[in-house]
Amino acid sequence: MARRGRQALFFLLPMLILVVAFYILPLVLTAWISFTPLTNWRVRDQLVDFVGLENYVNLYYLARYDPDFHKVLQTTLVFVVLTLFINVVGGLVLAILTYLIDERISLGYRLLWLLPRMTPLAVFGLLWYYFFYGGPQGTLNSFFLKMGIIDEPMRWGTDPAMLPYSAWAIIVFVNGLVGVSYGMIIFYSAFKNIPRELIIAARVDGAKTWEVIRHILVPIVRWHIVFVTVWQLLSLITSYTHLFVLVQWSVVDKWYGTTLALYVFNTAFFDVKNQGFAAAAAVILVIIGSILGLLTLRIMRFSQMISPPRGDI
Amino acid sequence: MGEGIGEGGPLVRGTMGIVIILALLLASLPIIMTYSTLVMTSFANTIVSSPWVKFRFTLENWRLFLEGKLAPTAGIVYTPEDILRFILNTGIVAGGVTLVVLAASVTSAYAFSRMNFFMRSGMMKLLILLHAFPGVALIVGVYAIYVFLNNYIPRDYSIYYSFIFVIIARASLEIPMAIWILKGFFDRVPWELEWATIVDGGSRLTALRTAVLPLVKPGIAAVAIFAFLAGWEDLIYVLVFLPPQEKTLATYIESQLGSGSLETTYLPVVAAAGTLYLIPTIIFFVVTQRLLLETMSGGLKG
Amino acid sequence: MVEVRLEGVTKRFGRVTAVNSVNLVFGDGEFTALLGPSGSGKSTILYLVAGIYKPSEGRIYFGDRDVTDLMPNERNIGLVFQNYALYPHMTVYDNIAFPLKLRRTPPEVIRDKVLEVAKFLHISELLDRYPAQLSGGQQQRVALARALVKEPEVLLLDEPLSNLDALLRIKIRSELKRIQKELGVTAIYVTHDQSEALAMADKVVVINRGVIQQEAPPDTIYNEPRNVFVASFIGSPPSNIFPATMDYTEEPCINLPGGTRHCVEEEYAGVLWRMKPSKVIVGFRPEHAEIVENPVDGRPVIVGEVYTVEPLGRENIVTVASEDIHLKVITPPEVRPEAGELVYVAVERGKLMLFDPQTEINLKYIAREWSQGG
Repeated sequence: MARRGRQALFFLLPMLILVVAFYILPLVLTAWISFTPLTNWRVRDQLVDFVGLENYVNLYYLARYDPDFHKVLQTTLVFVVLTLFINVVGGLVLAILTYLIDERISLGYRLLWLLPRMTPLAVFGLLWYYFFYGGPQGTLNSFFLKMGIIDEPMRWGTDPAMLPYSAWAIIVFVNGLVGVSYGMIIFYSAFKNIPRELIIAARVDGAKTWEVIRHILVPIVRWHIVFVTVWQLLSLITSYTHLFVLVQWSVVDKWYGTTLALYVFNTAFFDVKNQGFAAAAAVILVIIGSILGLLTLRIMRFSQMISPPRGDI
Repeated sequence: MGEGIGEGGPLVRGTMGIVIILALLLASLPIIMTYSTLVMTSFANTIVSSPWVKFRFTLENWRLFLEGKLAPTAGIVYTPEDILRFILNTGIVAGGVTLVVLAASVTSAYAFSRMNFFMRSGMMKLLILLHAFPGVALIVGVYAIYVFLNNYIPRDYSIYYSFIFVIIARASLEIPMAIWILKGFFDRVPWELEWATIVDGGSRLTALRTAVLPLVKPGIAAVAIFAFLAGWEDLIYVLVFLPPQEKTLATYIESQLGSGSLETTYLPVVAAAGTLYLIPTIIFFVVTQRLLLETMSGGLKG
Repeated sequence: MVEVRLEGVTKRFGRVTAVNSVNLVFGDGEFTALLGPSGSGKSTILYLVAGIYKPSEGRIYFGDRDVTDLMPNERNIGLVFQNYALYPHMTVYDNIAFPLKLRRTPPEVIRDKVLEVAKFLHISELLDRYPAQLSGGQQQRVALARALVKEPEVLLLDEPLSNLDALLRIKIRSELKRIQKELGVTAIYVTHDQSEALAMADKVVVINRGVIQQEAPPDTIYNEPRNVFVASFIGSPPSNIFPATMDYTEEPCINLPGGTRHCVEEEYAGVLWRMKPSKVIVGFRPEHAEIVENPVDGRPVIVGEVYTVEPLGRENIVTVASEDIHLKVITPPEVRPEAGELVYVAVERGKLMLFDPQTEINLKYIAREWSQGG
């Protein structure tokens, strides 16, 4: 037993070192920093100063009184709920449609919809920069000008007249395009596991396409829908990179394009560089994330995925 | 036509099938349009944002970009930048991330698939949780470590330190998923093959090397590609950890569009940068399409 | 070669006991078949001998050597898996050479040995191919060659023929036996196919639920099954087994289905007198009975109605229903009674088997143990 334990440790060691150094230790540090006045990364002087719960109290006051922070919280809520809806329902619709059509065309569409997920962040941001560009050359402006819907080019994500809805629409749309492929892939592969005879039998019994979708396809992925919903919820609450680009490049308004996760990032690294305060907000995110993560594990049927090894070697 | 539903082929055919295909095309229009805007603009003298934009075909953008004449500061006066350096930096980060991810995930995935040890299932659960962890909470702590350690690095080596740190830190983010994907591939190798090697006189390590690894090559390839693309596409870590003069393609594009730089930015040149930046992604994408789709869904069988 | 001995070996997987305190000797140079239904623990025993599993209790010996704690690579065994486990990325030559390479055998020696074993197994012309290019039978030979090339002391075979089609199975079965005898290697052969076990083995070990049911030469297994399980597992179709009441007024007699009575032969009488069970379990093989029109000559006879007749060409299988009991009888092709016809089933003299209803052990064996005990 001891020999086998050592053997396993040997195999796991590189991973364990990285996990401790880049997950466990940073998490502990983040929690620690949330009780310090750390600003501008002056780690040598400020990392051992303690301010107690001051950062958390500030967070509370900000949440009560600061209009910008209100915008951030509203945006977080709207962004998470709407994008989640798009990701799950859109993913399901895409999976069903691509499942029904000819395999080769389906592969093309699935790859096309996977493209945003694989595209480098900066390039994806660039695409939407051109698309929502405020000048007449911007894609959206040029279309609407041509069709006569607008008379002069609009600054879609930042024009105060359209805020907050236009900024929200843009961040939900752009992130939805990335997120929708996850559900599509999971649902599609679940459909592919359905024995074809099942569908043929239903067809022989006279079921219309719509009935096949309603009575066979959707019920079969019920569990997957729950899984994708929780997993995407988690990832939407904690993701910030795409929003960072949109806000940084002024595609959308600063506050109506910022969610809590991005707020933490900008507070720590760009705006006020107040890491103590950012860490306090991050701890809140960690707590929410942990609860959702544990929930995901519960519904993931984890025990089925990890079977005990065979043999006693 | 004469083919029945039981013989393979689409489940929906005829008018309905065409309607679905067209509906999907309509839904895909934003994707198609934005990507073609990018690529067309890189060969044009203006932003080719819609089909009726009049533009002139030119290689000027690519020439300016590759010569490093990225941003005209006043009129047509350029301060050339070392664009090859940017590309090289991007490649160094991507390659480094790939190596670190492979080094840390292959043996671990094997252990999770094939060995029994204390807290095996608990550790696997932890890895899945870590994969979903708020990255923003991590990066604050990771940067604190970076700053702290930086005090002990001689100034001359500081640049190496930055690169190594960003590579390892970025790779760590990919490790949980890499292990999970690879574990799936290891799970599919029959136990008997490994036993055969051990019965024939090999050790566990020999069995891994000679009997198992050759069979999980597709998995290793998939993980390597994902890791490479993750390093290749990274913006945030490079932006935070590398000094401003050490740009990658991502931070170059960021610097062109970021606040305060817009007056000097010539968008078609940025489009050339973006197109070049997209090429490796597209290549991997086309070459490994099926492997990619299967691997992405492979983490979840149930 | 070597004798393999299991002493009090138990293997538990969590709460499941796969092998329960087994004592077993595989004779030096003998061909032993481990026979049992799936999940009986027969493969587990094989993997325990191989060292892939470690026993929860008990010891395993190769001759005088205690190998219980040795790794498989320290045991000098050859193992052929059910799915052959050929390395798909190596050619046939490399597959066979692999065990020798692991032992750091000089390349010239490897070459000679591989060519020799390939010739012996008639696969010389396949050496450059990859496993995926071979038929099932060819893969099976390559797997065997890989197991034999290192000249193992013990050859372990885990259902090696089960992935082959029926015709090939019969062909390879006799060949396998010839090879084993020629090499004189101690062989342990796991199978769920009784005809394979009976045809090939010097000794058959019947296993069920991790417990040894009987350990004997093939003809003993067939003619004198030790208990109800062995009787019903061996044979095709399997033995007819049914309960019956006893009557001891003058001598021990069985009340057979359909109302007839049969007074038992000498060898059972003694033990029945001593035990006086009110019920017994009766069994006989379908091939040891015939359909007769008139009951004569003191043979055990069961009265019943013909239920179905299955003509198989060489013979017919007639199912006779008698008091809810269905009996199968193998008849010559010309005997073809009509369904519903009233018939008598006569069992060959001395072929009726009687089992203790509690332990399900053949009363013959109980009698023998008694006579041996005193």
